[in-house]
Amino acid sequence: MLSKSQARLFFVGGTIFFSVIFIALTVDTVRQMPALSNEDRMTEAVVRGKHLWDKSNCMGCHTILGEGGYYAPELTRVVERRGKEWIAIFLKDPAAMFPGERKMVKYPFDDAQRADLIEFLAWIGEIDTQGFPPDPDLALPVAAVAVRTDLAPPPPVFGTLCVACHAVGGKGGAVGPALDGVARRKTPEELDRWLADPAAVKPGTAMPKLPLDESTRAALVAWLSTLQ
Amino acid sequence: MKFQSQRIAYLFFATSLLLLPLQLVFGFIMGIAHMGWDGLHEWIPFNAARSTHLNLLVLWLLSGFMGAAYFIIPEEADRELWSPPLAIVQWASLVVVAVTALIGFQFGWWEGRKFLEIPRPLDYLVVANILLFLLNLVVTAWNAKRFTATGSVLLLGLTSAALLYLPGMITFENQVFDSYFRWWVVHLWVEGVWELIMGAMLAYLLIKLTGLDREVIEKWLYVIVGFTFLSGILGTGHHYYYIGTPGYWLWIGGIFGALEPLAFLGMALYALTMARRAGRDHPNRIALFWTVGCGVMSFVGAGFLGFAHTLPQVNLWTHGTIVTAMHGHMAFWGAYAMIVLGIITYTMPLMTGRKLYGGWVPELAFWTSNIGMIGMTGAFAVAGITQVYLERRMGMDFLQAQKAVQVHFGGVVLAASLLTFGIALFVWNFVQYGLPNVEAVGADEIGGAAETA
Ligand code: HEC
Ligand code: HEC
Ligand code: HEM
Ligand code: HEM
Ligand SMILES: [Fe+2]
Repeated sequence: MLSKSQARLFFVGGTIFFSVIFIALTVDTVRQMPALSNEDRMTEAVVRGKHLWDKSNCMGCHTILGEGGYYAPELTRVVERRGKEWIAIFLKDPAAMFPGERKMVKYPFDDAQRADLIEFLAWIGEIDTQGFPPDPDLALPVAAVAVRTDLAPPPPVFGTLCVACHAVGGKGGAVGPALDGVARRKTPEELDRWLADPAAVKPGTAMPKLPLDESTRAALVAWLSTLQ
Repeated sequence: MKFQSQRIAYLFFATSLLLLPLQLVFGFIMGIAHMGWDGLHEWIPFNAARSTHLNLLVLWLLSGFMGAAYFIIPEEADRELWSPPLAIVQWASLVVVAVTALIGFQFGWWEGRKFLEIPRPLDYLVVANILLFLLNLVVTAWNAKRFTATGSVLLLGLTSAALLYLPGMITFENQVFDSYFRWWVVHLWVEGVWELIMGAMLAYLLIKLTGLDREVIEKWLYVIVGFTFLSGILGTGHHYYYIGTPGYWLWIGGIFGALEPLAFLGMALYALTMARRAGRDHPNRIALFWTVGCGVMSFVGAGFLGFAHTLPQVNLWTHGTIVTAMHGHMAFWGAYAMIVLGIITYTMPLMTGRKLYGGWVPELAFWTSNIGMIGMTGAFAVAGITQVYLERRMGMDFLQAQKAVQVHFGGVVLAASLLTFGIALFVWNFVQYGLPNVEAVGADEIGGAAETA
């Protein structure tokens, strides 16, 4: 039968043995992490962004690399999902982009600080995370239901600014209405006035005024008008 | 109670039971925000509530561990504490650091790293505080004629916990390094050295409450904490799957993480077997409830629910979702909250000389708080699994998926109310005991009838 001193030996021996292996693995990991995290692309802006990230305790609501609070979206791939442009506008006034939703803190950042944060998030998005976050594996095959192949591809700005709130062909956000068939509801002139300043057309609307120059707006209107 | 200086434990226990209800308040703020009512956002945004909730948890548990150590170590060393005045100074400074940190959080004075939010200048004070604490205990043990295995494991656990606080104080510019070493604190605490503290406290309570042979109990203590480190050290790898670390951690973390529940299974069987074999009927039955309950609930919360998401194939989907919160609640409750509440229940009659362990109050406190926590865990589980399926596996937008699980936070808050009721009863019972007194020194532990307040 096991004696007390044998039991102690098991404890002390096991502890030392596994600690040594753990330290050795840590040494190797520390050697590999700079490459896996693209430390060469960790610019000063990224580091400043990381400090802002910590100081603002964004992790108290959001997860990043899967760590943090469960109250707000996982941000590891947010730049890929939303685009830098959208995030910059969003951070200025989070509530304007998601009216009536649960609230994010409205931070008094200046443009440079917002840019730093976005650089940080973009750098995070490039880390080799062994496939996290995974692509949805049970997503309904949207293509079969709704996506129309007869449509021209949308102007790039649609993918960075509009899909966060609007869906077309079953893909996109749900803050605003789906835009399928919008050309039947609105003429090109109406669309143009709407995009220039939604609140001027409909006071109190939840759609924010987005920074779109003349030519971008024209391209958007032209494309939206094909959504019969 | 054998020694006068053991009474110092009371200060720490009282502090714990002041911080615990406050932790619950911040829990409610978050639970209700998840239900869709974030009316407090302007004053207490979610990140402030969360940091306060977590740090209150860690602080009241640490305060409970310290009280336990001040009670247990003199007895295991068979002498008075080296310096009671120093212990009081240490207690006061702990309170000052804790209050400063918690108020600072409300004004954004923090580090923004989950569980390690205490800002750097205060970290140094924490370290100084813990050094004072350890110094007192180590000198006490050093000057003793005998020192038991239970005492050694407890001291080893406390010392290693202090040492492991240090990796959390290194500044890294690279988020991946930051995350890697954050786990040295968080994981190696709860699935490593804190288990030593818990195991030693469990062994102490079992020796006292069952009257069984110390040799047998301490032998199994070594075996269990042996399993803790055998699995728990490399088990840290279950946090290194998806944060930018090499792929071999998927194997190492997967295998050793899956072995971790063995240590908790050990704790549960240990408590159950020893309680069944008990040589005597200790009148403080409710203390034995908490002790055995701790063994069982830690296995369910840490062992079983930890296993549920530790394999890399599962963790890929559940990583950073409400599933983790589900496990975190039951694990902290079963392993650490229950052992602290258990030691308080056991020591209060000894410190005050009053035997308020009879009657319905302590018993109802035990059952309602535990049933409340089980209910909360269930509600978190439903919310978490739904979130994983809707958001992660089917690709639903985050906010939409959150709306779908809002209703389950109603369940969380409802069950949390039952838990809060139980804690209120517990605190009430504690208050009824009154202050520790000198007459209780040397009094017989077993004899005399139980009183009800
Ligand atoms: C923050 C979310 C948000 C963003 C970003 C956004 N929208 Fe909107 N949008 C809305 C909301 C909400 C409405 C509904 C407004 C109302 O009826 O008050 C709306 C309405 C519309 C309408 C009218 C739809 C109809 O059926 O009448 C059009 C067209 C439109 N948006 C186009 C765009 C385009 C193009 C972009 C990108 C440049 C864009 N939106 C970006 C939220 C948004
Ligand atoms: C009080 C909680 C809270 C804090 C703190 C917080 N956020 Fe948010 N954040 C949210 C919520 C909730 C959303 C979801 C959109 C909404 O409802 O506004 C969000 C959305 C976002 C998004 C868009 C994500 C997406 O997929 O649409 C980004 C980017 C973001 N936050 C960045 C940050 C950064 C950077 C910080 C720190 C400087 C931060 N957040 C701090 C709550 C928070
Ligand atoms: C009134 C009772 C309580 C309520 C309503 C409550 C609610 C919550 C909520 C909503 C969160 C945040 C989840 C998120 O980020 O979205 C949380 C986090 C947490 N709570 Fe509680 N809680 C309560 C009591 C407790 C108790 C008693 C413990 C410990 C024994 C505890 C331990 C934790 C831990 C460890 C976390 C962090 C979880 C993680 O990050 O994975 N809570 N709690
Ligand atoms: C008493 C012991 C334990 C406690 C108090 C505890 C608590 C926690 C907490 C609070 C977290 C969230 C940490 C963070 O994100 O910062 C967590 C995560 C985790 N725990 Fe535990 N745990 C315990 C034991 C275990 C055991 C034994 C296992 C494995 C069998 C386990 C597996 C995990 C895993 C895999 C995660 C990561 C979840 C994710 O990816 O989001 N835990 N634990
Ligand atoms: Fe862990």
